[in-house]
Amino acid sequence: MEQAEKKKSGMTKGILWIVLLMVAVIQIFPLVWLVDFSLASSNELFTSGLLIIPKTIQWGNYVKAFVDGHFLLYLKNSILINGLAVILVVIISIMAAFACYRMRWKLSGFVKMLLLMGLMIPIHATLLPNYKIYSMLGLTDTIWALLLPYVAFSLPQALFLMTSFMESIPVELEEAAVMDGCGIYRIIFQIITPMLKSSIATVAIMTFLNNWNEFMMASTYLNSPKWKTLPFSVLEFTGQYSSNYAVQFAVMALTAAPAVLVYILLNKHITKGVAMGAVKG
Amino acid sequence: MKKLYSNKLVILSLVLPGVLLFVFAILAPICLSVYYGFTDYSGMGSYQMIGFENYRNLFTDKTFGIALRNSLLLAVGFICIQHPLALITAAVLDKLGGRGENFFRCVYFIPNVISVAVIAYLWKFIYNPDFGLLNNILKAFGGRGDTNWFDSKTAIWAVLIVLIWHGFGWGMLIYYTGIKNIDPVLYEAATIDGANQITTFLKITLPLMKPVIQVNVTMAVISALKQMETVYLLTNGGPGNSTQFTANYLYQQAFKAFRYGYGNAIGVVFIIICLAVTVGLNKVFEEPEERKLKKRKRIRAKAKGVS
Repeated sequence: MEQAEKKKSGMTKGILWIVLLMVAVIQIFPLVWLVDFSLASSNELFTSGLLIIPKTIQWGNYVKAFVDGHFLLYLKNSILINGLAVILVVIISIMAAFACYRMRWKLSGFVKMLLLMGLMIPIHATLLPNYKIYSMLGLTDTIWALLLPYVAFSLPQALFLMTSFMESIPVELEEAAVMDGCGIYRIIFQIITPMLKSSIATVAIMTFLNNWNEFMMASTYLNSPKWKTLPFSVLEFTGQYSSNYAVQFAVMALTAAPAVLVYILLNKHITKGVAMGAVKG
Repeated sequence: MKKLYSNKLVILSLVLPGVLLFVFAILAPICLSVYYGFTDYSGMGSYQMIGFENYRNLFTDKTFGIALRNSLLLAVGFICIQHPLALITAAVLDKLGGRGENFFRCVYFIPNVISVAVIAYLWKFIYNPDFGLLNNILKAFGGRGDTNWFDSKTAIWAVLIVLIWHGFGWGMLIYYTGIKNIDPVLYEAATIDGANQITTFLKITLPLMKPVIQVNVTMAVISALKQMETVYLLTNGGPGNSTQFTANYLYQQAFKAFRYGYGNAIGVVFIIICLAVTVGLNKVFEEPEERKLKKRKRIRAKAKGVS
Protein backbone atom coordinates (compact mmCIF):
# COMPACT_ATOMS: atom_id res chain seq x y z
CA MET A 1 0.00 0.00 0.00
CA GLU A 2 2.83 2.34 0.81
CA GLN A 3 4.29 1.64 -2.57
CA ALA A 4 1.04 2.46 -4.30
CA GLU A 5 0.89 5.73 -2.44
CA LYS A 6 4.46 6.53 -3.40
CA LYS A 7 3.62 5.81 -7.00
CA LYS A 8 0.61 8.06 -6.80
CA SER A 9 2.54 10.95 -5.29
CA GLY A 10 5.20 10.42 -7.95
CA MET A 11 2.57 10.68 -10.61
CA THR A 12 1.01 13.86 -9.22
CA LYS A 13 4.48 15.33 -9.00
CA GLY A 14 5.00 14.43 -12.64
CA ILE A 15 1.74 16.09 -13.64
CA LEU A 16 2.64 19.20 -11.64
CA TRP A 17 5.98 19.37 -13.42
CA ILE A 18 4.29 19.13 -16.81
CA VAL A 19 1.82 21.90 -15.95
CA LEU A 20 4.60 24.17 -14.76
CA LEU A 21 6.72 23.39 -17.79
CA MET A 22 3.84 24.22 -20.11
CA VAL A 23 3.34 27.59 -18.46
CA ALA A 24 7.07 28.19 -18.63
CA VAL A 25 7.10 27.40 -22.35
CA ILE A 26 4.25 29.84 -22.98
CA GLN A 27 6.06 32.56 -21.05
CA ILE A 28 9.52 32.03 -22.47
CA PHE A 29 9.12 30.58 -25.96
CA PRO A 30 8.33 33.94 -27.62
CA LEU A 31 11.68 35.17 -26.32
CA VAL A 32 13.52 32.09 -27.56
CA TRP A 33 11.85 32.64 -30.92
CA LEU A 34 12.99 36.27 -30.84
CA VAL A 35 16.62 35.38 -30.25
CA ASP A 36 16.49 32.58 -32.82
CA PHE A 37 15.08 34.80 -35.57
CA SER A 38 17.54 37.56 -34.72
CA LEU A 39 20.39 35.29 -35.75
CA ALA A 40 18.99 34.40 -39.17
CA SER A 41 19.07 36.37 -42.38
CA SER A 42 15.92 38.17 -43.45
CA ASN A 43 15.22 35.73 -46.29
CA GLU A 44 15.23 32.79 -43.95
CA LEU A 45 12.43 34.21 -41.81
CA PHE A 46 9.67 33.19 -44.19
CA THR A 47 9.52 29.55 -43.20
CA SER A 48 6.66 27.55 -41.85
CA GLY A 49 8.79 25.98 -39.13
CA LEU A 50 8.63 27.25 -35.58
CA LEU A 51 12.35 27.84 -35.26
CA ILE A 52 15.03 28.41 -37.84
CA ILE A 53 18.43 26.85 -37.99
CA PRO A 54 20.29 29.64 -39.78
CA LYS A 55 22.81 28.56 -42.44
CA THR A 56 25.34 30.99 -41.06
CA ILE A 57 24.74 32.80 -37.83
CA GLN A 58 24.22 36.45 -38.71
CA TRP A 59 26.12 38.33 -36.04
CA GLY A 60 26.00 41.25 -38.43
CA ASN A 61 22.40 41.84 -37.38
CA TYR A 62 23.61 42.66 -33.92
CA VAL A 63 26.39 44.91 -35.17
CA LYS A 64 23.82 46.90 -37.16
CA ALA A 65 21.50 47.00 -34.16
CA PHE A 66 24.30 48.10 -31.88
CA VAL A 67 25.55 50.90 -34.12
CA ASP A 68 22.39 52.19 -35.79
CA GLY A 69 20.25 51.73 -32.68
CA HIS A 70 22.52 54.12 -30.74
CA PHE A 71 22.66 51.33 -28.21
CA LEU A 72 25.51 52.69 -26.08
CA LEU A 73 24.21 56.25 -25.90
CA TYR A 74 20.68 55.18 -25.00
CA LEU A 75 21.93 52.63 -22.49
CA LYS A 76 24.07 55.28 -20.84
CA ASN A 77 21.09 57.67 -20.70
CA SER A 78 18.85 54.99 -19.26
CA ILE A 79 21.35 54.11 -16.55
CA LEU A 80 22.06 57.74 -15.69
CA ILE A 81 18.43 58.88 -15.57
CA ASN A 82 17.21 55.81 -13.68
CA GLY A 83 20.11 55.92 -11.26
CA LEU A 84 19.47 59.57 -10.45
CA ALA A 85 15.74 58.95 -10.15
CA VAL A 86 16.32 56.10 -7.70
CA ILE A 87 18.66 58.18 -5.52
CA LEU A 88 16.27 61.14 -5.46
CA VAL A 89 13.23 58.99 -4.75
CA VAL A 90 14.96 57.24 -1.86
CA ILE A 91 16.22 60.43 -0.22
CA ILE A 92 13.04 62.44 -0.68
CA SER A 93 10.79 59.60 0.45
CA ILE A 94 12.81 58.95 3.61
CA MET A 95 12.72 62.64 4.52
CA ALA A 96 9.01 62.99 3.84
CA ALA A 97 8.16 59.72 5.57
CA PHE A 98 10.07 60.75 8.68
CA ALA A 99 8.43 64.16 8.76
CA CYS A 100 4.93 62.80 8.22
CA TYR A 101 5.20 59.78 10.43
CA ARG A 102 7.51 60.70 13.31
CA MET A 103 7.39 64.44 13.71
CA ARG A 104 4.56 66.33 15.33
CA TRP A 105 2.74 68.96 13.33
CA LYS A 106 -0.84 69.65 12.44
CA LEU A 107 -0.81 69.05 8.71
CA SER A 108 1.18 65.81 8.74
CA GLY A 109 -1.83 63.66 7.91
CA PHE A 110 -2.99 65.97 5.17
CA VAL A 111 0.41 66.23 3.49
CA LYS A 112 0.88 62.47 3.64
CA MET A 113 -2.51 61.92 2.04
CA LEU A 114 -1.75 64.52 -0.59
CA LEU A 115 1.51 62.85 -1.55
CA LEU A 116 -0.11 59.41 -1.60
CA MET A 117 -2.83 60.72 -3.94
CA GLY A 118 -0.30 60.39 -6.71
CA LEU A 119 -0.84 56.62 -6.58
CA MET A 120 -4.31 57.05 -8.00
CA ILE A 121 -3.58 59.61 -10.71
CA PRO A 122 -3.12 58.02 -14.15
CA ILE A 123 0.29 59.06 -15.45
CA HIS A 124 -0.93 59.38 -19.00
CA ALA A 125 -3.49 62.01 -18.12
CA THR A 126 -0.61 64.37 -17.30
CA LEU A 127 1.10 63.88 -20.66
CA LEU A 128 -0.75 66.70 -22.39
CA PRO A 129 -0.50 69.44 -19.75
CA ASN A 130 3.06 68.51 -18.79
CA TYR A 131 4.10 68.78 -22.42
CA LYS A 132 2.72 72.31 -22.41
CA ILE A 133 4.42 73.19 -19.12
CA TYR A 134 7.78 71.80 -20.16
CA SER A 135 7.74 73.58 -23.49
CA MET A 136 6.80 76.85 -21.78
CA LEU A 137 9.67 76.48 -19.34
CA GLY A 138 12.08 75.28 -22.00
CA LEU A 139 12.52 71.94 -20.30
CA THR A 140 11.72 69.75 -23.29
CA ASP A 141 14.73 67.86 -24.55
CA THR A 142 16.49 68.22 -21.20
CA ILE A 143 17.12 65.54 -18.61
CA TRP A 144 14.66 67.31 -16.29
CA ALA A 145 11.73 66.49 -18.54
CA LEU A 146 12.22 62.83 -17.64
CA LEU A 147 13.71 63.07 -14.19
CA LEU A 148 10.96 65.23 -12.68
CA PRO A 149 7.96 63.09 -13.66
CA TYR A 150 9.83 59.83 -13.01
CA VAL A 151 10.66 60.89 -9.47
CA ALA A 152 7.24 62.44 -8.85
CA PHE A 153 5.33 59.36 -9.94
CA SER A 154 7.57 56.93 -8.06
CA LEU A 155 7.41 58.96 -4.88
CA PRO A 156 3.92 57.98 -3.60
CA GLN A 157 4.68 54.27 -3.57
CA ALA A 158 8.11 54.89 -2.07
CA LEU A 159 6.62 57.05 0.66
CA PHE A 160 4.05 54.39 1.40
CA LEU A 161 6.70 51.68 1.72
CA MET A 162 9.00 53.83 3.82
CA THR A 163 6.30 54.77 6.32
CA SER A 164 5.18 51.17 6.70
CA PHE A 165 8.77 50.09 7.40
CA MET A 166 9.46 53.00 9.69
CA GLU A 167 6.67 51.84 11.97
CA SER A 168 8.81 48.88 12.98
CA ILE A 169 11.74 51.00 14.16
CA PRO A 170 11.55 51.59 17.92
CA VAL A 171 11.28 55.22 19.00
CA GLU A 172 13.61 54.59 21.94
CA LEU A 173 16.58 54.59 19.60
CA GLU A 174 15.81 58.12 18.55
CA GLU A 175 15.23 59.22 22.10
CA ALA A 176 18.70 58.04 23.00
CA ALA A 177 20.12 59.90 20.02
CA VAL A 178 18.35 63.08 21.06
CA MET A 179 19.83 62.75 24.54
CA ASP A 180 23.24 62.59 22.95
CA GLY A 181 22.48 65.84 21.19
CA CYS A 182 21.80 64.58 17.67
CA GLY A 183 19.92 66.91 15.31
CA ILE A 184 17.01 65.72 13.20
CA TYR A 185 19.05 65.43 10.02
CA ARG A 186 21.64 63.27 11.73
CA ILE A 187 18.92 61.09 13.21
CA ILE A 188 17.41 60.58 9.78
CA PHE A 189 20.54 59.90 7.80
CA GLN A 190 22.77 58.23 10.38
CA ILE A 191 20.31 56.28 12.50
CA ILE A 192 17.11 55.70 10.56
CA THR A 193 18.47 55.29 7.05
CA PRO A 194 20.85 52.40 7.83
CA MET A 195 17.97 50.57 9.50
CA LEU A 196 15.78 50.95 6.42
CA LYS A 197 18.20 49.02 4.22
CA SER A 198 15.75 46.38 3.03
CA SER A 199 13.02 48.89 2.29
CA ILE A 200 15.48 51.09 0.44
CA ALA A 201 16.33 48.08 -1.70
CA THR A 202 12.63 47.49 -2.34
CA VAL A 203 11.99 51.10 -3.25
CA ALA A 204 15.05 51.18 -5.50
CA ILE A 205 13.98 48.04 -7.34
CA MET A 206 10.39 49.15 -7.81
CA THR A 207 11.45 52.60 -9.01
CA PHE A 208 13.98 51.13 -11.38
CA LEU A 209 11.57 48.56 -12.83
CA ASN A 210 8.83 51.15 -13.31
CA ASN A 211 10.99 53.72 -15.03
CA TRP A 212 13.50 51.61 -16.93
CA ASN A 213 10.95 50.61 -19.53
CA GLU A 214 9.03 53.87 -19.66
CA PHE A 215 8.85 55.50 -23.09
CA MET A 216 5.53 57.32 -23.36
CA MET A 217 6.73 60.40 -21.46
CA ALA A 218 10.14 60.18 -23.06
CA SER A 219 8.72 60.19 -26.56
CA THR A 220 6.40 63.08 -25.72
CA TYR A 221 8.92 65.34 -24.01
CA LEU A 222 12.04 64.58 -26.06
CA ASN A 223 12.87 65.29 -29.67
CA SER A 224 16.62 64.97 -30.07
CA PRO A 225 18.51 61.78 -29.29
CA LYS A 226 20.52 63.49 -26.55
CA TRP A 227 18.60 62.08 -23.56
CA LYS A 228 16.60 59.32 -25.22
CA THR A 229 16.47 56.05 -23.32
CA LEU A 230 16.86 52.43 -24.30
CA PRO A 231 13.33 51.71 -25.58
CA PHE A 232 14.05 54.22 -28.37
CA SER A 233 16.52 51.83 -29.95
CA VAL A 234 13.51 49.69 -30.79
CA LEU A 235 11.07 52.51 -31.53
CA GLU A 236 13.32 54.28 -34.00
CA PHE A 237 14.54 51.15 -35.67
CA THR A 238 11.24 49.94 -37.03
CA GLY A 239 11.05 52.96 -39.27
CA GLN A 240 14.66 52.84 -40.38
CA TYR A 241 14.83 49.13 -41.21
CA SER A 242 11.17 48.60 -41.94
CA SER A 243 11.79 45.72 -44.34
CA ASN A 244 14.87 44.18 -42.75
CA TYR A 245 13.05 42.10 -40.18
CA ALA A 246 16.03 40.11 -38.94
CA VAL A 247 17.82 43.27 -37.83
CA GLN A 248 14.65 44.38 -36.04
CA PHE A 249 14.65 41.10 -34.17
CA ALA A 250 18.27 41.72 -33.24
CA VAL A 251 17.66 45.21 -31.89
CA MET A 252 14.79 43.92 -29.79
CA ALA A 253 16.87 41.12 -28.31
CA LEU A 254 19.72 43.56 -27.68
CA THR A 255 17.62 46.14 -25.83
CA ALA A 256 15.92 43.46 -23.75
CA ALA A 257 19.25 41.92 -22.79
CA PRO A 258 20.52 44.32 -20.06
CA ALA A 259 17.36 44.09 -17.97
CA VAL A 260 17.09 40.32 -18.37
CA LEU A 261 20.76 39.80 -17.47
CA VAL A 262 20.51 42.00 -14.40
CA TYR A 263 17.33 40.22 -13.41
CA ILE A 264 18.91 36.78 -13.70
CA LEU A 265 21.94 37.91 -11.69
CA LEU A 266 19.94 39.62 -8.94
CA ASN A 267 16.89 37.43 -9.27
CA LYS A 268 16.58 36.62 -5.57
CA HIS A 269 16.80 40.24 -4.42
CA ILE A 270 14.47 41.50 -7.11
CA THR A 271 11.89 38.82 -6.40
CA LYS A 272 12.01 39.67 -2.73
CA GLY A 273 11.81 43.39 -3.41
CA VAL A 274 8.87 43.13 -5.77
CA ALA A 275 7.04 40.76 -3.47
CA MET A 276 7.56 43.04 -0.48
CA GLY A 277 6.59 46.12 -2.44
CA ALA A 278 3.48 44.54 -3.86
CA VAL A 279 2.25 42.97 -0.64
CA LYS A 280 2.73 46.15 1.35
CA GLY A 281 1.52 48.38 -1.47
CA MET B 1 12.69 66.01 22.37
CA LYS B 2 9.24 67.44 21.79
CA LYS B 3 10.69 70.77 20.81
CA LEU B 4 13.10 69.15 18.39
CA TYR B 5 10.34 67.06 16.85
CA SER B 6 8.00 69.94 16.20
CA ASN B 7 10.50 72.39 14.74
CA LYS B 8 8.51 73.87 11.85
CA LEU B 9 11.53 74.88 9.83
CA VAL B 10 13.02 71.40 9.92
CA ILE B 11 9.69 69.85 8.98
CA LEU B 12 9.32 72.23 6.08
CA SER B 13 12.79 71.40 4.79
CA LEU B 14 11.98 67.69 4.97
CA VAL B 15 8.65 67.67 3.15
CA LEU B 16 9.28 70.54 0.75
CA PRO B 17 11.03 68.56 -2.00
CA GLY B 18 8.25 65.99 -2.07
CA VAL B 19 5.47 68.54 -1.98
CA LEU B 20 7.10 70.68 -4.66
CA LEU B 21 7.47 67.68 -6.93
CA PHE B 22 3.86 66.74 -6.36
CA VAL B 23 2.70 70.26 -7.13
CA PHE B 24 4.89 70.65 -10.17
CA ALA B 25 4.48 67.24 -11.79
CA ILE B 26 0.99 66.22 -10.73
CA LEU B 27 -1.16 69.00 -9.30
CA ALA B 28 -0.24 71.83 -11.69
CA PRO B 29 -0.76 69.69 -14.80
CA ILE B 30 -4.16 68.57 -13.52
CA CYS B 31 -5.20 72.19 -12.96
CA LEU B 32 -3.93 73.09 -16.40
CA SER B 33 -5.94 70.18 -17.85
CA VAL B 34 -9.08 71.44 -16.18
CA TYR B 35 -8.44 74.86 -17.70
CA TYR B 36 -7.74 73.63 -21.24
CA GLY B 37 -10.69 71.23 -20.96
CA PHE B 38 -12.94 74.30 -21.15
CA THR B 39 -11.33 75.60 -24.36
CA ASP B 40 -11.32 74.72 -28.03
CA TYR B 41 -7.53 74.97 -28.17
CA SER B 42 -6.05 73.00 -31.06
CA GLY B 43 -2.51 72.94 -29.73
CA MET B 44 -1.33 76.11 -31.44
CA GLY B 45 -2.69 79.55 -32.23
CA SER B 46 -5.48 81.24 -30.34
CA TYR B 47 -8.42 79.66 -28.59
CA GLN B 48 -11.71 80.46 -26.90
CA MET B 49 -13.42 79.39 -23.72
CA ILE B 50 -16.33 77.17 -24.67
CA GLY B 51 -17.68 76.13 -21.29
CA PHE B 52 -18.81 72.54 -20.96
CA GLU B 53 -18.97 71.93 -24.72
CA ASN B 54 -16.11 69.38 -24.61
CA TYR B 55 -17.72 67.45 -21.79
CA ARG B 56 -21.07 67.42 -23.57
CA ASN B 57 -19.37 66.02 -26.66
CA LEU B 58 -17.55 63.46 -24.59
CA PHE B 59 -20.78 61.94 -23.30
CA THR B 60 -21.99 61.27 -26.83
CA ASP B 61 -18.54 60.21 -28.12
CA LYS B 62 -18.81 56.58 -29.23
CA THR B 63 -15.06 56.05 -29.20
CA PHE B 64 -14.85 57.04 -25.55
CA GLY B 65 -17.50 54.42 -24.86
CA ILE B 66 -15.48 51.83 -26.75
CA ALA B 67 -12.39 52.78 -24.77
CA LEU B 68 -14.18 52.26 -21.48
CA ARG B 69 -15.66 49.00 -22.70
CA ASN B 70 -12.20 47.78 -23.67
CA SER B 71 -10.88 48.64 -20.23
CA LEU B 72 -13.72 46.65 -18.73
CA LEU B 73 -12.98 43.72 -21.05
CA LEU B 74 -9.32 43.84 -20.05
CA ALA B 75 -10.18 43.96 -16.37
CA VAL B 76 -12.46 40.94 -16.80
CA GLY B 77 -9.69 39.19 -18.72
CA PHE B 78 -7.22 39.88 -15.92
CA ILE B 79 -9.60 38.75 -13.20
CA CYS B 80 -11.13 35.72 -14.93
CA ILE B 81 -8.14 34.39 -16.88
CA GLN B 82 -4.84 35.81 -15.69
CA HIS B 83 -5.40 35.74 -11.96
CA PRO B 84 -6.93 32.27 -11.59
CA LEU B 85 -4.09 30.88 -13.72
CA ALA B 86 -1.51 32.81 -11.72
CA LEU B 87 -2.99 31.69 -8.41
CA ILE B 88 -3.15 28.04 -9.43
CA THR B 89 0.38 28.14 -10.85
CA ALA B 90 1.62 29.72 -7.64
CA ALA B 91 -0.05 27.01 -5.56
CA VAL B 92 1.39 24.25 -7.76
CA LEU B 93 4.82 25.86 -7.61
CA ASP B 94 4.62 25.98 -3.84
CA LYS B 95 3.72 22.28 -3.72
CA LEU B 96 6.59 21.32 -6.00
CA GLY B 97 9.33 22.79 -3.84
CA GLY B 98 12.99 22.09 -4.34
CA ARG B 99 15.20 23.42 -7.06
CA GLY B 100 12.49 23.70 -9.66
CA GLU B 101 10.75 26.35 -7.61
CA ASN B 102 13.38 29.00 -8.08
CA PHE B 103 13.87 28.21 -11.73
CA PHE B 104 10.21 28.47 -12.65
CA ARG B 105 9.66 31.59 -10.60
CA CYS B 106 12.53 33.22 -12.43
CA VAL B 107 11.31 32.14 -15.87
CA TYR B 108 7.74 33.30 -15.27
CA PHE B 109 8.86 36.75 -14.26
CA ILE B 110 11.25 37.44 -17.14
CA PRO B 111 8.66 38.98 -19.52
CA ASN B 112 7.99 41.57 -16.82
CA VAL B 113 11.47 43.03 -16.87
CA ILE B 114 11.43 43.45 -20.65
CA SER B 115 10.44 46.83 -22.02
CA VAL B 116 6.91 47.24 -23.32
CA ALA B 117 8.48 48.53 -26.51
CA VAL B 118 10.14 45.17 -27.10
CA ILE B 119 7.10 43.19 -25.98
CA ALA B 120 4.75 45.11 -28.27
CA TYR B 121 6.93 44.75 -31.37
CA LEU B 122 7.69 41.13 -30.54
CA TRP B 123 3.99 40.33 -30.47
CA LYS B 124 3.44 42.30 -33.64
CA PHE B 125 5.82 39.82 -35.22
CA ILE B 126 4.19 36.86 -33.49
CA TYR B 127 0.87 37.93 -35.04
CA ASN B 128 2.49 38.69 -38.40
CA PRO B 129 0.52 36.97 -41.19
CA ASP B 130 3.65 36.16 -43.25
CA PHE B 131 6.20 34.76 -40.82
CA GLY B 132 4.45 35.07 -37.47
CA LEU B 133 4.89 32.44 -34.81
CA LEU B 134 1.18 32.02 -34.18
CA ASN B 135 0.25 31.21 -37.75
CA ASN B 136 3.21 28.82 -37.97
CA ILE B 137 1.95 27.01 -34.91
CA LEU B 138 -1.49 26.75 -36.49
CA LYS B 139 0.13 25.35 -39.63
CA ALA B 140 1.99 22.78 -37.57
CA PHE B 141 -1.38 21.60 -36.29
CA GLY B 142 -2.79 21.40 -39.82
CA GLY B 143 -4.48 24.80 -39.96
CA ARG B 144 -4.27 27.18 -42.92
CA GLY B 145 -2.23 29.66 -40.97
CA ASP B 146 -3.15 32.80 -42.84
CA THR B 147 -5.25 34.44 -40.16
CA ASN B 148 -5.09 38.20 -39.92
CA TRP B 149 -5.12 38.63 -36.15
CA PHE B 150 -5.55 42.38 -36.30
CA ASP B 151 -8.89 42.17 -38.05
CA SER B 152 -11.38 44.67 -36.62
CA LYS B 153 -13.23 41.84 -34.87
CA THR B 154 -10.29 39.93 -33.45
CA ALA B 155 -7.84 42.77 -32.78
CA ILE B 156 -9.08 43.46 -29.27
CA TRP B 157 -8.59 39.79 -28.33
CA ALA B 158 -5.11 39.86 -29.79
CA VAL B 159 -4.33 42.85 -27.58
CA LEU B 160 -5.86 41.23 -24.50
CA ILE B 161 -3.75 38.10 -24.96
CA VAL B 162 -0.55 40.15 -25.02
CA LEU B 163 -1.48 42.06 -21.88
CA ILE B 164 -2.56 38.95 -20.01
CA TRP B 165 0.65 37.19 -21.04
CA HIS B 166 2.88 40.10 -20.07
CA GLY B 167 1.44 40.64 -16.60
CA PHE B 168 1.19 36.97 -15.68
CA GLY B 169 4.53 36.74 -13.86
CA TRP B 170 3.79 39.73 -11.68
CA GLY B 171 0.48 38.33 -10.48
CA MET B 172 2.05 34.91 -10.01
CA LEU B 173 4.82 36.31 -7.86
CA ILE B 174 2.45 38.16 -5.56
CA TYR B 175 0.20 35.12 -5.09
CA TYR B 176 3.28 32.99 -4.57
CA THR B 177 4.54 35.27 -1.79
CA GLY B 178 1.09 35.21 -0.22
CA ILE B 179 0.98 31.42 -0.26
CA LYS B 180 4.47 31.23 1.24
CA ASN B 181 3.23 33.31 4.15
CA ILE B 182 0.57 30.74 5.03
CA ASP B 183 1.49 28.77 8.13
CA PRO B 184 2.57 25.25 7.01
CA VAL B 185 1.09 23.82 10.20
CA LEU B 186 -2.34 24.36 8.65
CA TYR B 187 -1.44 22.15 5.70
CA GLU B 188 -0.05 19.47 7.98
CA ALA B 189 -3.26 19.47 9.96
CA ALA B 190 -5.26 19.17 6.76
CA THR B 191 -3.16 16.21 5.61
CA ILE B 192 -3.64 14.47 8.94
CA ASP B 193 -7.37 15.00 8.59
CA GLY B 194 -7.15 13.25 5.24
CA ALA B 195 -7.92 16.23 3.00
CA ASN B 196 -6.62 15.88 -0.55
CA GLN B 197 -4.73 18.55 -2.45
CA ILE B 198 -7.75 20.10 -4.12
CA THR B 199 -9.78 20.38 -0.90
CA THR B 200 -6.75 21.85 0.84
CA PHE B 201 -6.45 24.46 -1.90
CA LEU B 202 -10.15 25.34 -1.77
CA LYS B 203 -10.58 25.24 1.99
CA ILE B 204 -7.26 26.60 3.25
CA THR B 205 -5.28 28.38 0.54
CA LEU B 206 -8.13 30.31 -1.06
CA PRO B 207 -9.75 31.71 2.12
CA LEU B 208 -6.41 32.72 3.60
CA MET B 209 -5.39 34.39 0.35
CA LYS B 210 -8.48 36.58 0.30
CA PRO B 211 -6.71 39.83 1.24
CA VAL B 212 -3.97 39.22 -1.34
CA ILE B 213 -6.57 38.44 -3.99
CA GLN B 214 -8.42 41.64 -3.17
CA VAL B 215 -5.31 43.78 -3.50
CA ASN B 216 -4.45 42.04 -6.75
CA VAL B 217 -7.93 42.49 -8.19
CA THR B 218 -7.91 46.19 -7.33
CA MET B 219 -4.56 46.61 -9.02
CA ALA B 220 -5.75 44.66 -12.06
CA VAL B 221 -8.81 46.85 -12.56
CA ILE B 222 -6.77 50.02 -12.22
CA SER B 223 -4.04 48.86 -14.56
CA ALA B 224 -6.73 47.90 -17.07
CA LEU B 225 -8.06 51.44 -16.88
CA LYS B 226 -4.63 53.00 -17.22
CA GLN B 227 -3.49 50.77 -20.07
CA MET B 228 -1.75 52.71 -22.82
CA GLU B 229 1.78 51.74 -23.86
CA THR B 230 1.16 48.29 -25.28
CA VAL B 231 -1.90 49.36 -27.23
CA TYR B 232 -0.17 52.49 -28.48
CA LEU B 233 2.56 50.42 -30.12
CA LEU B 234 0.58 47.32 -31.03
CA THR B 235 -2.47 48.75 -32.78
CA ASN B 236 -2.66 52.41 -31.77
CA GLY B 237 -6.34 51.87 -31.17
CA GLY B 238 -7.06 50.52 -34.64
CA PRO B 239 -8.42 49.15 -36.85
CA GLY B 240 -11.15 51.74 -36.68
CA ASN B 241 -11.25 52.42 -32.98
CA SER B 242 -11.84 48.81 -32.03
CA THR B 243 -8.87 48.56 -29.65
CA GLN B 244 -9.02 52.10 -28.31
CA PHE B 245 -8.18 52.78 -24.65
CA THR B 246 -8.83 56.03 -22.81
CA ALA B 247 -5.24 57.16 -22.36
CA ASN B 248 -4.40 56.37 -25.96
CA TYR B 249 -7.50 58.17 -27.17
CA LEU B 250 -6.77 61.41 -25.32
CA TYR B 251 -3.22 61.34 -26.66
CA GLN B 252 -4.46 60.87 -30.22
CA GLN B 253 -7.06 63.60 -29.89
CA ALA B 254 -4.48 66.08 -28.64
CA PHE B 255 -1.48 65.33 -30.82
CA LYS B 256 -2.95 63.69 -33.97
CA ALA B 257 -6.41 65.21 -34.32
CA PHE B 258 -5.24 68.59 -32.95
CA ARG B 259 -8.05 68.79 -30.45
CA TYR B 260 -5.84 69.61 -27.49
CA GLY B 261 -8.70 71.09 -25.49
CA TYR B 262 -10.86 68.02 -26.04
CA GLY B 263 -7.94 65.74 -25.13
CA ASN B 264 -7.58 67.55 -21.82
CA ALA B 265 -11.28 67.21 -21.13
CA ILE B 266 -10.91 63.45 -21.63
CA GLY B 267 -7.94 63.57 -19.27
CA VAL B 268 -9.98 65.24 -16.55
CA VAL B 269 -12.79 62.69 -16.82
CA PHE B 270 -10.16 59.94 -16.94
CA ILE B 271 -8.64 61.11 -13.65
CA ILE B 272 -12.05 61.30 -12.02
CA ILE B 273 -12.89 57.77 -13.17
CA CYS B 274 -9.57 56.40 -11.83
CA LEU B 275 -10.05 58.11 -8.47
CA ALA B 276 -13.65 56.92 -8.20
CA VAL B 277 -12.81 53.33 -9.10
CA THR B 278 -9.86 53.16 -6.67
CA VAL B 279 -11.85 54.61 -3.80
CA GLY B 280 -14.89 52.49 -4.65
CA LEU B 281 -12.97 49.22 -4.81
CA ASN B 282 -11.19 49.97 -1.54
CA LYS B 283 -14.53 50.62 0.11
CA VAL B 284 -16.06 47.42 -1.23
CA PHE B 285 -13.13 45.29 -0.14
CA GLU B 286 -12.06 46.88 3.09
CA GLU B 287 -15.32 47.48 4.84
CA PRO B 288 -16.16 44.03 6.18
CA GLU B 289 -12.60 43.58 7.47
CA GLU B 290 -12.44 46.95 9.10
CA ARG B 291 -15.86 46.57 10.59
CA LYS B 292 -14.69 43.33 12.17
CA LEU B 293 -11.60 45.01 13.53
CA LYS B 294 -13.61 47.84 15.00
CA LYS B 295 -16.04 45.35 16.56
CA ARG B 296 -13.15 43.42 18.08
CA LYS B 297 -11.69 46.61 19.49
CA ARG B 298 -15.02 47.51 21.04
CA ILE B 299 -15.36 44.08 22.62
CA ARG B 300 -11.83 44.27 23.96
CA ALA B 301 -12.49 47.69 25.43
CA LYS B 302 -15.60 46.36 27.11
CA ALA B 303 -13.73 43.38 28.52
CA LYS B 304 -11.10 45.69 29.90
CA GLY B 305 -13.74 47.83 31.49
CA VAL B 306 -15.26 44.78 33.22
CA SER B 307 -11.98 43.46 34.57
